[in-house]
Amino acid sequence: MARELTVWGHAVRNLRRTPARTGILVVAIALLVSVLVFALSFVRRVDASIRAASERLGADVLVVPTGSRGAAEDVLLDNRVKTFYMDRSIVERVKAVKGVARVTAQTYLATLPGGCCDVPESMVVSFDQESDFVVGPWLAKKLGRPLRRGEAVVGSESAFNIDLGLTEVNGKLFGSVFRIVGVLERTGTGLDTAIFMDARSVDQMFRPGARDVPPSSISVVFAKVEPGVDPRVVAGRIEDTVVEADAVARRDVGQNVLRALGDIGRMFLITFLLASSLAAGLAWAVFSGVANERIREVGLMRAIGARESHVVRLFLLEVLLVGALGSAAGVVLGTGLTFVLGKGFAILRAATADLGAGDRAAVAALGLAVGTGVCLLGALAPIRSTRRTEPLAVLKGG
Amino acid sequence: MASLVAEDVTKTFGMNGTSLTAVSHASLAIERGQFVSITGHSGSGKTTLLSILGGLSPPSSGRVLFEGTDLYARDGDALSDYRCEQVGFVFQFASLLHALTAKENLLLPARFRGAPGRGAAVEARALALLELVGLRDKADAYPAQLSGGQQRRVAIARAFMNEPALILADEPTGDLDEETEAEVMKLFRTVNEASGTTVVMVTHDAELAGEAGRRLHMHRGRLAEGLPASGPTVGAVARR
Repeated sequence: MARELTVWGHAVRNLRRTPARTGILVVAIALLVSVLVFALSFVRRVDASIRAASERLGADVLVVPTGSRGAAEDVLLDNRVKTFYMDRSIVERVKAVKGVARVTAQTYLATLPGGCCDVPESMVVSFDQESDFVVGPWLAKKLGRPLRRGEAVVGSESAFNIDLGLTEVNGKLFGSVFRIVGVLERTGTGLDTAIFMDARSVDQMFRPGARDVPPSSISVVFAKVEPGVDPRVVAGRIEDTVVEADAVARRDVGQNVLRALGDIGRMFLITFLLASSLAAGLAWAVFSGVANERIREVGLMRAIGARESHVVRLFLLEVLLVGALGSAAGVVLGTGLTFVLGKGFAILRAATADLGAGDRAAVAALGLAVGTGVCLLGALAPIRSTRRTEPLAVLKGG
Repeated sequence: MASLVAEDVTKTFGMNGTSLTAVSHASLAIERGQFVSITGHSGSGKTTLLSILGGLSPPSSGRVLFEGTDLYARDGDALSDYRCEQVGFVFQFASLLHALTAKENLLLPARFRGAPGRGAAVEARALALLELVGLRDKADAYPAQLSGGQQRRVAIARAFMNEPALILADEPTGDLDEETEAEVMKLFRTVNEASGTTVVMVTHDAELAGEAGRRLHMHRGRLAEGLPASGPTVGAVARR
């Protein structure tokens, strides 16, 4: 069977003539793209986690004690155990603010392992089942009924920590026995590590044992605004009305982390641009060498009938092959790094949302495009130089 | 009408502030199907004239007409097409692409032609040409695996690949043994007589030049009809 001589085949043969040089360029592009893929995956994953967490809260505005906004974000986004309290009367004051439709409150209690409690250090979230719209939807789906006195459901991470797998397990909190009757689905928020109990149970059974919790206190008020009202405007009104509280609109939750993430992203960008310059320079050096070595060959091709476009296409294909090969390797390497090194970054350990297939595909496509583009950019000048090759001058040289 | 005409062609190269005239006011007309030899000493301008006729290098002055049209009035692609479709070059040195096998070197002009560097018919022609130069068994060998003479024979076979109207051969038998030299000359004569292909051959060898139906001689860039001893008519438009 006839084996066709295609321009692809010709390009591959040319690349195989200098495997070491081709390999160096492929590795350089692969490293460049792996940095890009890792950085993009890192930033997008943290960003997606924060946004998912704020979306899943179910509230439009969060109200916390003045100065506790950071602590609240630590609890909600970063799985940290922190407590902060304000007077329960704030619930009604927030409810009275123009534009607020519904409110519900939660109180956070911190367990002390080995002392009061037989669970690892975690948050106990006391919520009002009558007014709640934050935990309720998950609870209804999982348990199908309200929590009774002394009952608790735990977040997916808590269940793992307590080594549950089973429901109907007894534990001890602040000197009183409670029963775990369900494990919530993973929510992507810091509340995955919490233990959820009805406020009445907590008030009657556990508050007396939790000495650090002021009586008649709550930690956070969640507010839903009326349809068509801007949550930021309502948050401003709440802060004007309730001076001892900070109010933050849902879409502003995690802004500090996102700003820090933006700085990290910019550092990645600068690093990447420098690395891209290096890779493009390497591509220029490699393909300049290739163009010089092949000057006689190009002259010969022109002499036997190759158009400029034939020569340019051949070189372009070589560049694209190297770029695409390096980029593909970089995508694999970068994705692998995301999984392996991700565990070494606290911010990624806390990030509960994973990248979806679409996001991964987009990052991979961008990596392929950028890696190939950088290679092409570096090789443009050498490719242009091949167009100027005079067949006669080359051929007379012999 | 002459197939290939050079009208008062001069080619001057600038080198280090001085100029060198390689071809001086050369005129000639070659009928379709002629077998022409050009002899002359080294540096007499033979290769430069061949390059001008082959569309490789524009003259500094004068015109080259192929089938009545000015060759160098064409754009770059049209000139490439002329070299690809009308001309088969045999260069004075081994001129194969090292990344390609002998057969693939033959397929290359077919690929440039646009059709077909592919297909069984094109491959069959390449193999037949290799057979003709005695290298059928080396079809899949790379140039590095061939001797200088074998590489030359592959290059000769390549010149015939696109069935050109004009073969321009620069010292085509330089590296070849006598037997192969005779075979190559026979090949030139065969395509010249059988298919009317015009052959213009540059050579040092007076005996080989004698095999051509028409002889030209170059001396210091000037072209003359006949062998040197026969009395040159310098710069004349020579027809036969």
